[in-house]
Amino acid sequence: MAVWAQLIMNGLIAGSIYALMAAGFSLMFALQRFMNIAHGSSYVVAAFIAYTFAVILKFPMWISFLIGILAAAVLGILINLIIFQPLQKQKEKNNALLLSSFGVFLLVEAIILMVYGADVKSFGLPVKVGMDVLGAKVTPVQLVIICMAPVIFGLLALFLYKTKTGVALRATADNETIAKTMGINVRFMTYLTTGLGSALGGVAGILVALEQNLEHSMGMMAVLKGLTAAIIGGIGNVPAAILGGYLLGLAENIGVWYVPSGYKDAIGFGVFILFLLFRPQGFFGEKRREEASG
Amino acid sequence: MNAYVIHLFIMLCIYIVLTTSMNLAVGFTGLINLGHIAFYAIGAYTSALLAVKLGLPFWVGLLAGGCMAAFFGYLLSFPTVRLKGDYLAIGTLGFSIILEAVLKNWTSLTRGPLGIPGIPKPELFGLTFSSLELYAILAFTLALITFTVLKIVTVSPFGRVMKAVRDDEVAAKTLGKNTFRVKAKVLTLSAFFAGVAGSLYAHYITFIDPTSFAITETILIFSMVLVGGTGSLWGSIAGAFVIGILLPEPLRFLDLPSSIVGGMRQALYALLMILVIMKRPQGLIGEDTFHSMWHNVKRRFKFA
Repeated sequence: MAVWAQLIMNGLIAGSIYALMAAGFSLMFALQRFMNIAHGSSYVVAAFIAYTFAVILKFPMWISFLIGILAAAVLGILINLIIFQPLQKQKEKNNALLLSSFGVFLLVEAIILMVYGADVKSFGLPVKVGMDVLGAKVTPVQLVIICMAPVIFGLLALFLYKTKTGVALRATADNETIAKTMGINVRFMTYLTTGLGSALGGVAGILVALEQNLEHSMGMMAVLKGLTAAIIGGIGNVPAAILGGYLLGLAENIGVWYVPSGYKDAIGFGVFILFLLFRPQGFFGEKRREEASG
Repeated sequence: MNAYVIHLFIMLCIYIVLTTSMNLAVGFTGLINLGHIAFYAIGAYTSALLAVKLGLPFWVGLLAGGCMAAFFGYLLSFPTVRLKGDYLAIGTLGFSIILEAVLKNWTSLTRGPLGIPGIPKPELFGLTFSSLELYAILAFTLALITFTVLKIVTVSPFGRVMKAVRDDEVAAKTLGKNTFRVKAKVLTLSAFFAGVAGSLYAHYITFIDPTSFAITETILIFSMVLVGGTGSLWGSIAGAFVIGILLPEPLRFLDLPSSIVGGMRQALYALLMILVIMKRPQGLIGEDTFHSMWHNVKRRFKFA
């Protein structure tokens, strides 16, 4: 039993991170209609900025985290402003947007590499012995991850479904033209979703940096896992993407019970390819085939 | 001739095989295949294992590597041909991550992270290609064959169908073209040449390990195709030269720590990629660049 508790707990920890990334992806996809790989930059940048303030400049932890998340949001908005907005005006835009977002991701990664070097960094938190939670060993940081993610998703749901701005945002995602005629500031909504989505990615980056450590190359896998989770759940639909994140986390961590742990990443993408084959619109996605198939 | 220059030339030839074959899918057919490096890896490992474990000659490994890659390209086409650009991109990227995991973990076959050392230099017609000069000739010949075959394919009627699939898949379908089958064929052919490039690489470096085939390499090859010009084979050659040689090599002579040089290299090609997408989407040598140049020459002749 203890083994299963541990596997499920590990799945929830990984799932929380994937879900945070996937939620950010989906939020941005809902308005921009392309898979924004540059989302991985917010993950890396938030972690490294928080590291700079907390470890190098000796700021209090929580202020550093806020600065890191804010930096991710600002970066997301800037990228949108400088790169994606001009491209969105071009006619053949889908591939150009995806590919330019890849370029941006690589550029940010390269800058981080040049500034911080290639060696692994950490926040240097004291290593604590795992506590027993429902028969599984969990460290305090992991517990924070598991508890924090649902709180953030709750707040996000409150915002999206209960506030006027949230409703306007979903209306814009549903039909931009009609939203515009109803007097919704579509451009502001775009900035809001990019900022919010990037902030979610930033939270994920900082949480992972706390639990493991920081590397300039940490964004690539995170971005792919986030995207995979979002597609498994149903991209463009935030709650579905979040569930997709947990599903992916659980699938990977329970899967390693059956195959060598080196194949952990492969399990995730294996599941993903199965989804592409049989259910490209995602687990919870409605049948909008033109989204996925060409 | 300088050994360093010959080495660069050989690498350029390998890059050209990779970029032109990737362009067949990406540029001519509009399939954003980000798993190209996986086929390169399959070719390299197949060829290396056949040579090291079974002692088979180079040309058998070369063909087997190509065919094995083509087979996987065909398999990968099943989940991906029905998908739109973004999904295809992520799906193929996922495939290359799965393959990387297999190469690292199937230690009984691939020796995992230890890699495969001692891959013999090729022997053909009783001639051992052990000197750099001879290998350069071999690499150049294979690059030339690849280029010629791909050129023939792209200007053939099949090539026009490929472009039709890229430009308007629905229209191509209404004309009775089986666009899924076209895409599957393109992926298979494209993968074949990637496998050939892998075999060429393995027998040149004589040592391969999973790090030579990381996702970052896919992006490098991809940026070559993009910067050179999608839908233009000459563009792919230009891209391979600019991003593979012209940009990174001068950085080597700067006296800087490796993380800075690596970062600068990546920053430069990422920046170039973004700039090309935004300012010159057709790439350095676009699909119509030569055509319109020829057109201009003709026009000037007429009116002169």
